[in-house]
Amino acid sequence: MSRGARVVLILVALVAVAAVLFWRYGAFPLLPSRGGGQTEFEGPRVADAADVAVPAGYEVEVVAEGLTFPTDVTFDEQGNVYVLEAGYSYGEVFTVPRLLRVSADGGKDVVAEGESGPWNGVAYSDGSFYVAGKDGDFGAILRVTTTGEVTTVLGGLPSLGDHHTNAATMGPDGQIYFGQGTATNAGVVGTDNHAFGWLERHPDFHDVPCDDVTLAGLNYQTENPLTDADDNVTTGAYRPFGTASTSDQVISGAMPCNGAIMRIEPEGGEPELVAWGFRNPYGLAFAPTGELYVVNNSYDERGSRPVYGTGDLLYRVEEGAWYGWPDFHGDLQLDDEDRFGHATAPAPETLLSRHPGSPPAPAAVLTVHSSSNGMSFSTSEAFGHVGAVFIAQLGDMAPQVGKVAMPAGFKVVRVDPDTGVVIDFMVNRDPSGPASYTGTAGLERPISAKFSPDGSELCVVDFGVMTMSEQGPAPREGTGVVWRVVPAGGGAP
Amino acid sequence: MSRRRAGQRTASALVAATALVLAGCGSPYRGEPLGTAPALDTQAQVDGRALFDRYCSECHPGGAAGLAPGINNKPLPGWLVRAQVRLGMGAMPPFSRETISAVELDAIVAYVLELKK
Repeated sequence: MSRGARVVLILVALVAVAAVLFWRYGAFPLLPSRGGGQTEFEGPRVADAADVAVPAGYEVEVVAEGLTFPTDVTFDEQGNVYVLEAGYSYGEVFTVPRLLRVSADGGKDVVAEGESGPWNGVAYSDGSFYVAGKDGDFGAILRVTTTGEVTTVLGGLPSLGDHHTNAATMGPDGQIYFGQGTATNAGVVGTDNHAFGWLERHPDFHDVPCDDVTLAGLNYQTENPLTDADDNVTTGAYRPFGTASTSDQVISGAMPCNGAIMRIEPEGGEPELVAWGFRNPYGLAFAPTGELYVVNNSYDERGSRPVYGTGDLLYRVEEGAWYGWPDFHGDLQLDDEDRFGHATAPAPETLLSRHPGSPPAPAAVLTVHSSSNGMSFSTSEAFGHVGAVFIAQLGDMAPQVGKVAMPAGFKVVRVDPDTGVVIDFMVNRDPSGPASYTGTAGLERPISAKFSPDGSELCVVDFGVMTMSEQGPAPREGTGVVWRVVPAGGGAP
Repeated sequence: MSRRRAGQRTASALVAATALVLAGCGSPYRGEPLGTAPALDTQAQVDGRALFDRYCSECHPGGAAGLAPGINNKPLPGWLVRAQVRLGMGAMPPFSRETISAVELDAIVAYVLELKK
């Protein structure tokens, strides 16, 4: 065989091998992560509505700027705007949680301050604000009067971990509904929780189920970041870091629990379970029909039990139902190798030997790592799209949560809860990422979208700049913004 | 054409194919806010959008890149889209007929082809 023929033969063989490898593994292992936070930011942050795009018939305004870690907004009877500053951000930045009244010219007056954050959600009802926040180390529902007096309606919530107490929402029954996130990504305390910062502070903290669960007895070995020694520890599901589980071990359910929606009377008392088996039920909203919806932040590809490829899910909440965490994504079980495994990571094994139920199917599927958060339904013909839910997407926190090919989220979407169709509503004019990524003055990280009481305007809370690196999140104080979307010219679009 | 030249062409095609795949990460935006939403003229396209949002948009939001590379700029014919959905590729899972019926896949393909215009 001539030299030329050999070269061709080798090339053909290489092409064949490359084709097989590409079909089996795809481009995913080769691609770098391009998360929206994987950029540099010099500041100052500039917010310019001209860099934000909404559909024809709507226009965007800046309501307030210079906020530090804003997470939610609410309105009083007069339509005055109140914005919540969390007082804490991922990246272990602690500031003062505050409720601010925003004046028409964008001025900010402090209504109340708290002692510990995050304050993640606020609702106004009958002269009081109800805040999903903290009382000491624990999660709490707080009542804040218009004169700034803060009292605890419900304390002792298990908010010491990755996810916190979210979305205080006034129900049509006059009760306060709220979400309580899990301690961990997928049921097992690991070194990722040390990177979050809380494992050092609360080494015994772990997830608590709302009802008894029976474990398969899977355990995960990791290094021990709590000691200087070069030692390893073994940790099971629903167990403290360094504590193994056994096969058929029963973990007792307790209230209040993690990964749940609960409700409580405004006067206080014992919380009541609405539904459980969520990971981080961040956004809650009642539809015009009176039905409760939740948007649940799905798994990350991190920690002892990483889970690949799970988008955030919107659910119509069924009272008493179990929604599948830590073994399901929607109604799909995680041990499906084709669906939840990939070239460099197998699908997770099943933690529970018996499941508490069959998880309901979601109403809509949202983008992986989009961090779909605060939301509300349109109720006004003047605004349009009555019955659709508008969801703010904080955007990915890659590479900490896993790899993405391009920035995911960083916008507001409109979802038809009946068909599951998801349509972009508010994006940057350069839609390829947050403003700090594209070098523009548009949206950074939308975290809540709330309609005014008359439904005529949509306020969008933008958490501000949070860049990401291998060392974790770097949030920037004073870069938060509140935007407003209204029908152009004041009429229906 | 000499064999050496054929080899060079094969190598060039490989490089081009790789570049095409990698370039797929940055894909054109299709959405209402910028007036570039796909026009859905047929019921199949309308149905396809809902099915796409249920099964595909999770990783390819609106056909653009997200967790996975964009698919609204790939010069794939419909039959190859069908093959990839049924067989999967790399980190993309296969979708069986039990999950996505033949009629549903036709609708998804109709929508995907419209996304690429």
